[in-house]
Amino acid sequence: MATTAKTRFVSEPIKPEIGSRILADKAALLSGDHATQIMELLEQRGILLFPQVHFTDEEQIAFTRTLGKFAPEMRGEEIYKITLDKTQTATADYLRGTFYWHFDGFMNKVPIRASLLSSKVLDPQGRGNTEFANTYAAYDSLPAERKAQIEGLTVVHALAATQLDHTPEPSYAQWQEWRAIGRAELPLVWNHTSGRKSLVIGNSAHAVLGIEPLESKDLLVFLRDWATQERFTYSHKWQVGDAVMWDNTGSLHRATEYPADSIRMLHRTKLEGEEPIV
Amino acid sequence: MTGALRSRVIKPLIGAEVLADKAALLAGGHAAEIRALLEERGVLVFPQANFSEAEQIAFTRTLGAYAPDTPDERTTAISLDPALGANADYIRSSFFWHFDGYMNDVPVLASILCARVLSAQGGETEFANTYAAFAALPEERQQALTGLTAVHALAAAQLSVEPEPSHATFRHWQQVRCNTLPLVWTHRSGRRSLVIGNTAAGVPGMDPLDATGLLIELRDWATQERFTYCHTWQAGDCVIWDNTGTLHRARPYDPASGRLLTRTKLAGEEPFA
Repeated sequence: MATTAKTRFVSEPIKPEIGSRILADKAALLSGDHATQIMELLEQRGILLFPQVHFTDEEQIAFTRTLGKFAPEMRGEEIYKITLDKTQTATADYLRGTFYWHFDGFMNKVPIRASLLSSKVLDPQGRGNTEFANTYAAYDSLPAERKAQIEGLTVVHALAATQLDHTPEPSYAQWQEWRAIGRAELPLVWNHTSGRKSLVIGNSAHAVLGIEPLESKDLLVFLRDWATQERFTYSHKWQVGDAVMWDNTGSLHRATEYPADSIRMLHRTKLEGEEPIV
Repeated sequence: MTGALRSRVIKPLIGAEVLADKAALLAGGHAAEIRALLEERGVLVFPQANFSEAEQIAFTRTLGAYAPDTPDERTTAISLDPALGANADYIRSSFFWHFDGYMNDVPVLASILCARVLSAQGGETEFANTYAAFAALPEERQQALTGLTAVHALAAAQLSVEPEPSHATFRHWQQVRCNTLPLVWTHRSGRRSLVIGNTAAGVPGMDPLDATGLLIELRDWATQERFTYCHTWQAGDCVIWDNTGTLHRARPYDPASGRLLTRTKLAGEEPFA
């Protein structure tokens, strides 16, 4: 358990290789006094949990702003509502891809640094955990020969790949609509400016360039399976008011199954990226 | 004494219904006509033929070389019930368009299904004519596709129903032979068909996203209304399809419904080319 001089900020690890719980009162968090510490801890631990901190939207936005550059949504909104309810979120269809391991913002040259989720309404049956996997820790633990094999490889990422997981037989018109949204070629291993390395994988990863289609699938399945094994992952069962922040540059996340008519509602804010994937 | 085979076209570009009594079918006198009609129409329906399992095998043998799946030479149970069908997990991928036997260089010529137990809802079997679909493509498109190959694998089909397998599961799938096949099959007859479906994992040498796009485009093209026939089963129905010139899929149904079809296959006679 680590405490600061002010003693209002306490953190404890959730699991050895991922996650820390932050025990600090809301005023201390909103003051910004601990921002540097929080961001360091985030990079080390992959995800930070603020149990039942009960941020209002305004507070969540304010807290996010203390940590770095606030990243608004595509249409300028500050809060993105995560729900499968189409009347609440125009892009609810795309959220069906969130049941599979992914990171956010693969289409951007500089992917977002971190996301913060606050739980507003729970699924009545307790479904819809959010799960996280530490892709720094997963990379570090790979055997040396596997590290050598994947260094320098490039992967094609596309939104279309994420949609095929839940709609394997789209019409061609639907496919073209997905394709128009984005494609990126990213290194399989991210060499961060810190010197640390993480795996850049997830459901947007369609194929490794320059190798046969099935060899490519085998490698991507292996790495996702490796990175999401028990020791590298944390599954968060939501309580109303919980906030969870994850380092989007060094983790994967997914939601566990909940039905489309669930009232489950999370509010998300984002921190702008600081570093391109190289 | 058998007269000419009576049949009725189902849709202009796919399917025929064969009207012949069971005794005549089992006698084999119509076999040559049935084979010719099968190649021409893609799918033949024998409404309420009411073949027993032994009769289904006997009928299959009249048409060519019976290719049983198991050493006991019984029919294969097609069911989502693990107690009835050993491969219920794999059969889930049959809800997506595919053909059978991609792993063999000489794929199954035809498959024969007989309906034993039906689900109250769903469970139709759909067929698409990949000869007709290819023939309807613009000439320059036909030329552009000729010479391309696609790699086919069980893993590709299984990823459709299980997008996040463990690596152990993936390797298990990969124990079934993968096969690189021409995208356009030029048959000995000179006719050409598209070789596509959910087993197609990619097109070697093509950008992977473009390859997936191409495979989706061709599957969407081949499965449009005019090339497809959806068979709503009646108990006792028997359906045979030309596996070398069609795709097929099952429509979803309740796994607990008890739906049971039995399948026999005719050994392939012609390699992909």
